[in-house]
Amino acid sequence: MSEKINIPDHYSKWESDVKIGKKDDHVTIGYWRDGCKGCGICVDVCPKQVWELIEAKDKWNGQVVQVTDASKCIKCMLCEIHCPDFCIKIY
Amino acid sequence: MAFEYEKYLRMDKIPHLWCPGCGIGVVLKAMLRSVENVGWEKNDIAFVSGIGCTSRAPGYIDCNTLHTTHGRALSFATGIKLAQPAKHVVIFSGDGDATAIGGNHFIHACRRNIDMTLVVVNNNTYGMTGGQHSPTTPIGYKASTTVYGNIDPTFDICLLAKAAGASYVARATVNKGKMLEKYITKGFEHKGFSVIVATANCHTQFGRKNKMSDPISVRKWIESREIPIEKARTMKAAELNDKIITGEFITHEEETTWWENYNHPIHEYTEAYQTIRDKAQERK
Ligand SMILES: Cc1ncc(C[n+]2csc(CCOP(=O)(O)OP(=O)(O)O)c2C)c(N)n1
Ligand code: SF4
Ligand code: SF4
Ligand code: SF4
Ligand SMILES: [Mg+2]
Repeated sequence: MSEKINIPDHYSKWESDVKIGKKDDHVTIGYWRDGCKGCGICVDVCPKQVWELIEAKDKWNGQVVQVTDASKCIKCMLCEIHCPDFCIKIY
Repeated sequence: MAFEYEKYLRMDKIPHLWCPGCGIGVVLKAMLRSVENVGWEKNDIAFVSGIGCTSRAPGYIDCNTLHTTHGRALSFATGIKLAQPAKHVVIFSGDGDATAIGGNHFIHACRRNIDMTLVVVNNNTYGMTGGQHSPTTPIGYKASTTVYGNIDPTFDICLLAKAAGASYVARATVNKGKMLEKYITKGFEHKGFSVIVATANCHTQFGRKNKMSDPISVRKWIESREIPIEKARTMKAAELNDKIITGEFITHEEETTWWENYNHPIHEYTEAYQTIRDKAQERK
């Protein structure tokens, strides 16, 4: 674990030990709820169903996302790359 | 490892104004990662756009930015590049901006082969003004100006760019953010005029009129039509109607035949322009 984790304080964080192929690794998932527009793209692109949509009455379309189980993450970065709103950081 | 987009953004302007799930954000992110890949200093970049949803992008980027008039981004950009050849000039245009009102500027920027990079976000419509049809709205699809379905054949922006003389041309879609990043990076590295077409979802305007009102259905519709260029080369023309051919159309890394590229660039324009400057100086 040499890389520097740089997730701003206003991000929610989930952490877990993970196995990537046969290698032991660790993931930190950062998520910026205020910036999230609940589009659901992260839920759609994640191959491991790490994200899920949940109800959020304060949002215009009534939904945001949350991490269900960080231990399933394979750090493929697809969610981070395809979130149109700069809301996800995977370390 | 996560990418620090904050480094390149005016964070006080984020969240951006694009609709939830809009494809433009995905393209902008690929563009920012490409800037990091080539290691450009922010102050050496001039980021230029016209008008449209796509063209709002410069407002969010923390470098020299210019938000110009609809269709004329390439003309302003050409002026910047000729006045300051050391600047890295990047243009962000919509399909309407680049190939409808700005179509003439587009083909002539390609013809000059001036060392700039144009990223065209093709969402098959005029997103900003209410979903009118554009030169890339596929036949049969609806727009606010083609309520019974479009009958106008489309431009293939990549083939148009190649024919007009652009010397690096590639296309990827918002389903493949890494591929977009790779091509934009190569476009930045390429000396000459580079055109990268990013096929993107505008579910709010284009999608809604075509029974795909959410971002994911338009992304899936795009995915279902993607064909890699290597495969397309072996297919019949009629099979490729309504398909999105992805990959590199011209790179100039290898020698090409006249038939593959009948418009081989003779020179890069800022260098040619310098010879004119030198001649003018000599006469003084
Ligand atoms: C000279 C001029 N004509 C027309 C308009 C109105 N107008 C603004 S944006 C736009 C179309 C934008 O479409 P596109 O370039 O595809 O961008 P998008 O919004 O889809 O990203 C039009 C026609 C204008 N601003 N200026
Ligand atoms: S990095 Fe990949 S596996 Fe992990 S949450 Fe994102 S999309 Fe899912
Ligand atoms: S892709 Fe981004 S904006 Fe969309 S739901 Fe996921 S975190 Fe939110
Ligand atoms: S109208 Fe279309 S192009 Fe414009 S922000 Fe919304 S989804 Fe994006
Ligand atoms: Mg458009």
